Order: sequence, then structure tokens, then C-alpha cells
Amino acid sequence: MSDPAGPLPPSPPTARPVSRDALRAPAHQVSRRAITLWFIEGITGFIIMVGGAALLSLWVGSWTWLPDWLTARPWLVPLATALVLLPPVIIEPPLRFAVHRWELSDDVVYARSGWLSREWVFVPVGRIQTVDKAQGWFERLLGLATVEIRTASYAGSSTIKGLDYEVAARLAEDLSHQAQQLRDDAT
Amino acid sequence: MAVRLSPKVLLIDPVRMLPSLLLPLGGVLVAGGFSPRSFVFAAMGVAGSIVFAVIRWATFTYTIVGDRLELTRAFVSRSVRTIPLERIRGVDVSTPPLHRLLGLAVLKLDTGAGGDKQEGELNGVTVEEAERLRAVLLARRVIPAVASSESSANATDTSTGTTSAAPGHGKEHYYIRVPRSWLRYGPLSGAYLLTPFALVAGAIGLLFQWGDEFGISGKDAWAVGEWLWDRPQYLIVAVAVLVLAMPFVGGVMYAIFNWDFTLKSRDGYLVAERGLINRRAVSLERRRIRGYELAESPPERAAKLVRVWAVVTGLGDSQTRGQLLPVTPKSAALAIAAEAIGPFGPSSATTPPSQASTPGQIGHVHPSDQFGQVHPSEHEAPSGQVPSGQVPSGQVPSGQVDSAGQASSAGMPLRPHPPQARRRRLFRAIFPWLVVVAVAGVLGWGVVVVIALVLALLGIPLGLDRYRSLGHAYDGARLSVRSGSLRRTQAIVERRAIVGWTFKQTWFQRSSRLLTVIAGVGAGKGGYSALDTGERQGVEFAAEVTPEWLNQFIARP
Repeated sequence: MSDPAGPLPPSPPTARPVSRDALRAPAHQVSRRAITLWFIEGITGFIIMVGGAALLSLWVGSWTWLPDWLTARPWLVPLATALVLLPPVIIEPPLRFAVHRWELSDDVVYARSGWLSREWVFVPVGRIQTVDKAQGWFERLLGLATVEIRTASYAGSSTIKGLDYEVAARLAEDLSHQAQQLRDDAT
Repeated sequence: MAVRLSPKVLLIDPVRMLPSLLLPLGGVLVAGGFSPRSFVFAAMGVAGSIVFAVIRWATFTYTIVGDRLELTRAFVSRSVRTIPLERIRGVDVSTPPLHRLLGLAVLKLDTGAGGDKQEGELNGVTVEEAERLRAVLLARRVIPAVASSESSANATDTSTGTTSAAPGHGKEHYYIRVPRSWLRYGPLSGAYLLTPFALVAGAIGLLFQWGDEFGISGKDAWAVGEWLWDRPQYLIVAVAVLVLAMPFVGGVMYAIFNWDFTLKSRDGYLVAERGLINRRAVSLERRRIRGYELAESPPERAAKLVRVWAVVTGLGDSQTRGQLLPVTPKSAALAIAAEAIGPFGPSSATTPPSQASTPGQIGHVHPSDQFGQVHPSEHEAPSGQVPSGQVPSGQVPSGQVDSAGQASSAGMPLRPHPPQARRRRLFRAIFPWLVVVAVAGVLGWGVVVVIALVLALLGIPLGLDRYRSLGHAYDGARLSVRSGSLRRTQAIVERRAIVGWTFKQTWFQRSSRLLTVIAGVGAGKGGYSALDTGERQGVEFAAEVTPEWLNQFIARP
């Protein structure tokens, strides 16, 4: 964690300011261990896909409608799958780590996520309906947690992944506490 | 006092059950070789179902106890469904044909729970009882500030059948009784146009399902199909007949569903009534209406027509229930929507949205800040734009008002999106077909190549029109976003309904410096997007609507 744990008063953005961006980056990074988490998730999917391709290759040899060069070398199928899928598995975690950031200030939760595509979500605390703190298998192993913030609309709901467990716990608590005080039933 | 449904439903129930009984009964008769005994069994079946209906009727009661409605079923096991009256958000009264014959109605309670099972239904009360129940169930929810929007300055008499009765508590006020002559616009909406095909498909499906009963086997049907395939001229004639029937049948269906459409207000509710055979009245609680949505197909746009839906929180099946106006001339529709829900345009910044929220609910913005907080926007609009005098307070980049701009957007011109957005719309409308052309070309499928080429060419006007549709605006009380071509929709949503914002940017949008801004709204579709705004334009749009949320996150150069 490069940032002090927990929601703090607004702190200056730490990311290098890119002049063309209309929005400043949220103040806090997620936990560095999130890189490991994304890598584990990516590699799991990778193994499943390549394993599936390997299974498929057992049949390829008997499919006569395929070109000869392929039926003679069925191992090309899992190899090609691996070559196509490997680069994203490797570049996705660090890219995500650079993009995923969050902040709670002036009663608005501001979170950024994505890697190739990006998403910015702004949720005012007064409109929050539920705050969930969730931990998957891998997250538990790594001491991470996810905070899910729900409002009456999917487009006003945010999921902040890869937070340090302590940070997530405090954020969830702060949010649900504040949400009760600021609760606004206009919608 | 517990009340039963009207005993007259007992006349309806057996009729309703008839189709499901027909087959088993027929089966019993056929299996018994039409012997006297089989008739006895069949009669027992009929009697059994009638007894079942009677018991079910006798054991179902409803009662209003204090502040809740209790629906009690004591047939096999006793179950009580309790619906707190304050949870009832709308009442939907409809009269299917048989019910109408007997003076009955079906009452459906909208509790905002979502899902049919959660909602209460009283199937078969007399029409008077339905009216009484509606009055009782809804009276609890009337709040003092209801009539405010009716008395707003924009109550225009549209000279289209609107009766401008003085609004007041307990009084009905008609916004419009749609004249019968407007039913002729129906086919332009594109709704029900596929009915002839649906009917034929349904008939074929039935044939396959029940054909065996009538001695028609799948083989026979297949033979007919092959026979037709060998004589394509008949197929072509059949298709031509169906196509020619489209506007006619579609028009008839439209008329049946939208017969004598009326929109009125009553005790804090908007009530939309329509239908020839099954007359249905939907009551929408005003407090929960957050705005409205306009939809137009290209023919409707050419004829200056529009359809209107209400954006309501927690309304299930909002596509049917939320409809406020059928195909209606645009000027009338806008006037009615402005009167019934609220105007969109510079004037509405001074008139608060209906039933204005309690002070301080939205945040800490003083009304005068609403425009003052907005920073001058980066001008990403195309150069050579025509300045428009209609844009409020000058900070808004003046919209390029295309020839139809003023009339085609509700109330106030929309700000166009940057030219990169046009490139993106065009690319998305054309490129997929070019891929098909390339693939089909490699495989040597000539017909597919030609079809895909034609579609790619059609993509050019489509993409251009999609770009022209894009726009967004904020008038100080409501925001509006518009998109789409074949079904162009413009949503107009109150600012207080917004629960959050989501900005999205794909890899491709990032390289064109575009952004999709989605206003999260706890009503209607849940989110209304301004597609492909300029990066800064989109962020500033959101900051213009809710400066107290967004301003702190905007990067200052």
C-alpha cells in the first residue's frame, strides 16, 4: 500500500497529471497485492482455456474436413490458444493496477476501474442503499476484499476490487454509517 | 370486514378453464369410445372443475384492516398476504371482454416490489367496487403538494381535445382524450406491423403442436412445405399478401389496444386509460414520476409524431404500464407532457419540478449556483456552428441547431456531440457489413456479398442520422439525452432522480477522445446515456447537473 489506509480527507492526486484528462485521478491506489489477484484470476482462466484446447486437440487428428497440415499436428491448437491468450494475462494486472483507484471525499465515492476500457463511477453517499464487503477465495488468501456499493440504479453502483482487507472494512463501515445519516429517499 | 370477489366470476372461471379442460375431456371421451360411462366421467370432470372454482371463490377474501390490505386464501392451507397501503404505488384496473360483459374488472396492485408474484391481484370485482377500492387504496397516498404542477404556467391548451378544467383535489382533470382520427397514425410507429407474420407463425406452431389431434402428421406438413418449395410463385404471393397486410393488420391491432386513449390526473395520480376490448386504466403515482421518454421511428419523425412514456420509480412492466401517450403529433405531445409532468426548457429552471423535493434534499446548492458553477466548456462542437439564442446563460456551448433541431428536441435544443462521434457512428454502422462482404467474398458467396454491400451502403445514412440524434442538455431542473435512429429516444429526467454517474470509455473511444456518460436514475431503465460526448464536454455536462458531486474531481488545467 503506497497510500495510508482508510478514507481520508481529500488528498492531492498522486498520479501524474495528464493534461488532456478532464478528471483528476482518485486519490488512493488499491493494494499492490491486487496485481497478484488479477494475475491468479487471469492464469486460472488461461489454464482452463488451454486445457480445453488440449482436450479438443485429441479429436482434431480424426477430423478429415480440416486441412492436412493441422490434422498432422494437433498440438498446434493448444499452442495457438496459449499464444493468443498469454499476453493479456501478463499485461492486464499491471495495467489494471495503474487504472484502479478510489476516493471518498465530500460525501461522494469516486472510483476508477478498467484496463483497456475505463470506467469512472461517482456515487453520492446520500443515495447509497447497501454497502457490501465481499471476499472471494483468492482474496481471502491475499488478505484483500471487495467493497460493493449499490444504489437504486445499476449506473450509480460501484464495485471497488482489490482493497486491503483493513481498508475495505473501514471504508464499508464509514460508508454505511454515513449513508444512514445522509440517507435521501428522493428516489 | 372480509369481502369476497363478485360471485359473477364463477361464470368466467369455467370459461377460462375450458381450453385446458378440452383436451383431457376429449381424451376421456375418445378413450371411452363415447360410451355412456365416459360421458359420466367427463361430466364429473366438468363438475369437479366447477366445484373447484366455487371453493376457490368462497375461500378467497380481501379486507382492508387499518393501514393494510389483507388477501386471505383458505383453500388448502391458509395463507394471508398483507400489503401495507403505503406500499401500494399504483392501481391498474382492466376489463377483459368477458369481465366487461358481466360488469366486472381486474384490479392489479403495483407495490413496486418487482416481479408478478409480489403484486396483489383481485380478479373479478364489480366495476363499482373496483372504483371504490381504487379510491380507498390510493386516497392514503395523496400528499398536499400534488396539484402544483398542474397549476404551472405551462398549462397550454393544445386545441387537440385537451380540456382545461380547473385542477384541484379530488377532481379529475383531463390532459387529453385522444381523438379517434389519430388512430390512423398507428402503423407509422412500426408497432404491431409484424402481426401478420406472427399470426402465421403462431398458426404453424399450433399445427405442429396439435396437428396430430386433427389427423395431420408432421410428414403431411413437410410434404406441403416441399410442395410449396417447388412452386415458389405461391410462396412469393403469400409473402406479398402478408407484407401488404402489414399496415392494415398493424393499424387494426394498434386501434384495438389504443382505442380512446385518455390521460387525466386524479388525486395525485396520472391515469392513462386505453383499449377497445380489454379496457385498461393504469394509475401512476405522481410522486414517483421522475420524467418522461419520447420515442420516434423515422416515419413518425417525418410526420412529426411521437410516443411518450413516463419514467417512474419501481414500476414493473413499464413498457406497457408507463405509456402516457400513443402516437401523437409532437407539438401536442410536448405540451401535454410539459403540463402533466413538467416542461423541459429554459422556463422550467424557474418552475421547480412537480412536487419539488424538500429543501436541502439534493445537496447544498443554492438555485442560483446551478448555472454559476459551470465552467466554460471546451468547444468541441463542430466549427461553423450557428449560435442559438435559446441556450440559457451563455455558458453552455451554443448548440448547432440542425434544420430540425428546434422542433425535433423537446423544448430546448440539445448540444451536439463532437465530430469524432460521427466517425464512430458511421464506422459502427458500416464496418460490420464490410467484414461480412470480405468473408463472403473469400468464400465466394455472391448473394451474401451483394446483400452485405447494400446494407453497408444503407449504413451511411443510418450512421449519419445516428450522429444527428446524439445530444444532451440541462435546463436547471431536468436533464435530457437523446440517441438512436430507427427508434430515436429522448429521455427527460429530473435532476433529483439521479443517484450517481458512470462514465465509460472504451479503447476506441479513448483514441477518439470520446466518453459515454450514464446518469444513474432509480427509475425507468436505470440509466440514461449520453453516447460519445467529448471527454471534457461529458464531464462538464455531469458537473453542470450535479456540481456539488463532480466539481471537486474535475482536473483544472
